[in-house]
Amino acid sequence: MLQPRQTEKPSVGIVLDTGLSRIDDVLAMALLYGLDGKKEERLVSVSVSRANLKAAIYSDVVGRFYAGAVSGAIGFGGRTLPVGLADSGPLKEDLPFFTQPLTHMMLDGKPAYNSDIKTDLDTAEIVAVVRNALTAQWDGNTIIIVNGPATNIARVLATGNSKDWIQRKVSLLVFAGGRFPNGPAEENVKADVASARRLFAEWPTPIVVCGAEMDGLVSYPGSSIENDFAWSTAHPVVDAYKAAGKMPYDAPVWAMHAGLYAVRPKEGYFKVSDPGTVSVLEDGRTTFTPSGNGKHRHLIFDPAQKERIVKTYTELVSAKPVEKPARSFPPKNQQKPEDVKKPEDPKK
Amino acid sequence: MTITRKALQRRTFLRGMGVAMGLPLLDAMVPALYGKEIETPVRMAYVYVPIGAIMDHWNPTYTGQLRELPRILKPMEPFRENMLLLGNLTHNGGRALLDGGGDHARATGGYLSGVQPRKIAEDSSYGDRNGKSVAAIKAGITADQIVANQIGGKTRFASLEVGMEDAQQSGNCDSGYSCSYTNNLAWKSESQPLPPTLDPRALFERLFGDDGDLTPQARDRRNLYRRSILDYVTEDSKKLETRLGPSDRSKLDQYLTSVREVEVRIQQNEKHNQQVDPGMEKPGGTPGDFAEHFKLQSDMITIAFQADLTRTVTFLVGREGSNRPYREINVPEGHHNLTHHRNNPEMIEKVAQINCYHIRTFAAWMEKMKSHKEGDRTLLDNSMICYGSGIADGNKHTHEDLPTMILGSGGGFLKTGRRIVYRRETPICNLYLTMMEAMGVQRETFGDATGHLPELTA
Repeated sequence: MLQPRQTEKPSVGIVLDTGLSRIDDVLAMALLYGLDGKKEERLVSVSVSRANLKAAIYSDVVGRFYAGAVSGAIGFGGRTLPVGLADSGPLKEDLPFFTQPLTHMMLDGKPAYNSDIKTDLDTAEIVAVVRNALTAQWDGNTIIIVNGPATNIARVLATGNSKDWIQRKVSLLVFAGGRFPNGPAEENVKADVASARRLFAEWPTPIVVCGAEMDGLVSYPGSSIENDFAWSTAHPVVDAYKAAGKMPYDAPVWAMHAGLYAVRPKEGYFKVSDPGTVSVLEDGRTTFTPSGNGKHRHLIFDPAQKERIVKTYTELVSAKPVEKPARSFPPKNQQKPEDVKKPEDPKK
Repeated sequence: MTITRKALQRRTFLRGMGVAMGLPLLDAMVPALYGKEIETPVRMAYVYVPIGAIMDHWNPTYTGQLRELPRILKPMEPFRENMLLLGNLTHNGGRALLDGGGDHARATGGYLSGVQPRKIAEDSSYGDRNGKSVAAIKAGITADQIVANQIGGKTRFASLEVGMEDAQQSGNCDSGYSCSYTNNLAWKSESQPLPPTLDPRALFERLFGDDGDLTPQARDRRNLYRRSILDYVTEDSKKLETRLGPSDRSKLDQYLTSVREVEVRIQQNEKHNQQVDPGMEKPGGTPGDFAEHFKLQSDMITIAFQADLTRTVTFLVGREGSNRPYREINVPEGHHNLTHHRNNPEMIEKVAQINCYHIRTFAAWMEKMKSHKEGDRTLLDNSMICYGSGIADGNKHTHEDLPTMILGSGGGFLKTGRRIVYRRETPICNLYLTMMEAMGVQRETFGDATGHLPELTA
């Protein structure tokens, strides 16, 4: 597809790998599309670590819902941004919040949502879709968010020359998983201990962990679902929320924190630990050892920010997608992507 | 030539002044010395056509066993059992990836290496020559050269690079990309392209000349007396015939006849070329007619494979972004201009006609490959001819779901007769890794590959 050479550094590219295990994961996806609409980031790759075609179809539906307002990074000539899908892994089963929206019919008898994905062949190979998205980003201008088992991202790390691309393009990985400073094994880690161990041992750039101790300290209000989406006759996030529990209810969130911190690290929504090293024990428990030259940190909840966080979440998730202006071709011979210095670790 | 009472050596050449002619596989070469069975080589060729195809007329709507083929591929119907039609393979290095325009240069320049070529306009860091700054070119070693490096020593030519259109190697051919990217398919290293031979005469003399080329004196003498290259090897061929049975004599006669036919057609083209306007600059002896040029070049590739002169070929049918007109099929407009059809049905139809024309000429070549017997198989069976492009949709310049098909099974390595669609974004370098394996070259990674394509062999 014809594309102008990018001569100004764009907003950070987000690579999202989600397990789609709970409604929180859908809200996190909506949050990222909301931030993309505000041009604070560009969601350049979405992959699903649940080996379930309907999960991929639902992710595609959400992406198409926001189409025109979000950033397909590479250019797919009329086809939507490919959704990466795990072909195996610990997560498989159907869950109502991503299957029921697919059955939503409008009054005219037509499906409320469309998707290009009909079979596995319409989804993308995980390693290629993530690596290819990285190749289209400016150096140091990508953040990877993992809301689920580390299965997919560990595969990316282990394949071919991907590690070189990660080193060059990724400034930060934010992982919703583990439990800090200690406690029983958390499910995302426990589901694939080997991949989690590889991730923390081999990932070449900084990692910030959003541990399960953050789970449930903030909830997404059901009242927002009932009141803030009147602008849309059908909304895949609203459908998912209603399918995930008996309304009215407030959904505990956790994955959303990973997304909000990744895009707005300096706005003080969360505190961040000093650097250290995360280790994953054989039974899936995680430990954090402070160390001045460690590449890992973990988020710390700040009760004083709770109200502000909820307000931010409801505003971003319920925001109406904004059409992006038509592309313009910038002047030639301006600064090259390689000339831009890699951003520093946001904490340093 | 050394002829003994033992089996003929596979690498027997008929020699004459300035001539060295390889031979096809003959029964007399089997079994070879020491009682071992002779190795039937696997050959590999990459055939690149420019600017993709009208994919609606290329992709079948089914997967699995090949049945009725879409419009463009209709001429391939006789080869359904001999081919693999692959879907969703991607050349990520062809995409802009922050580098703006230049899809055509990237499509070819990185097609067989899986890398994105570097633009020349803003980088001259590769040093200088003659005191002047020289624009850098940088792509990557190509799949054919990986194979040539490993098995090329077994044949007279480690690899053969054949082309049809444009020899320009410098200057800007596409949005700041060097012409080296649009006009070369094979790269020996990231900075060393291997320019294809466009002129049939030059290719002929490379194949049959001693030490690569006929000497100027031999060429002058031959032209003076209008002698055929076969005249120089008559003595050797007569000696050889005394050692051959009826079947081998017939095979040798067919082979020498095919060489002579190519030679005659080259001479005829040289004689009549000035009467044909190819619509583009051409070397002196190059046919203006696309089909005739294709036939000459492909016939020589067939001979090279038959005589085991090489096992690795790249064939650049047209430069990427070519604006060649095809008046012989009543398409006088430039190919490239037509591909930017903006959904105009008439322009789409003309592009489809060009695509069909390419496939018709390719199918005629495959028929020839299939007609040559090698033991229980055919020359086509013992080859893998990968036909494709680094662009899928020429209007949108897409580099995913590339038009890709393979003819031949690589000596039974590939299970042909099928349409296989991969998941989106699957790198085409995965295919190259698998083809390398068929050639006896084992690698775990190449270019942007994420693995092999085991379905091709299962």
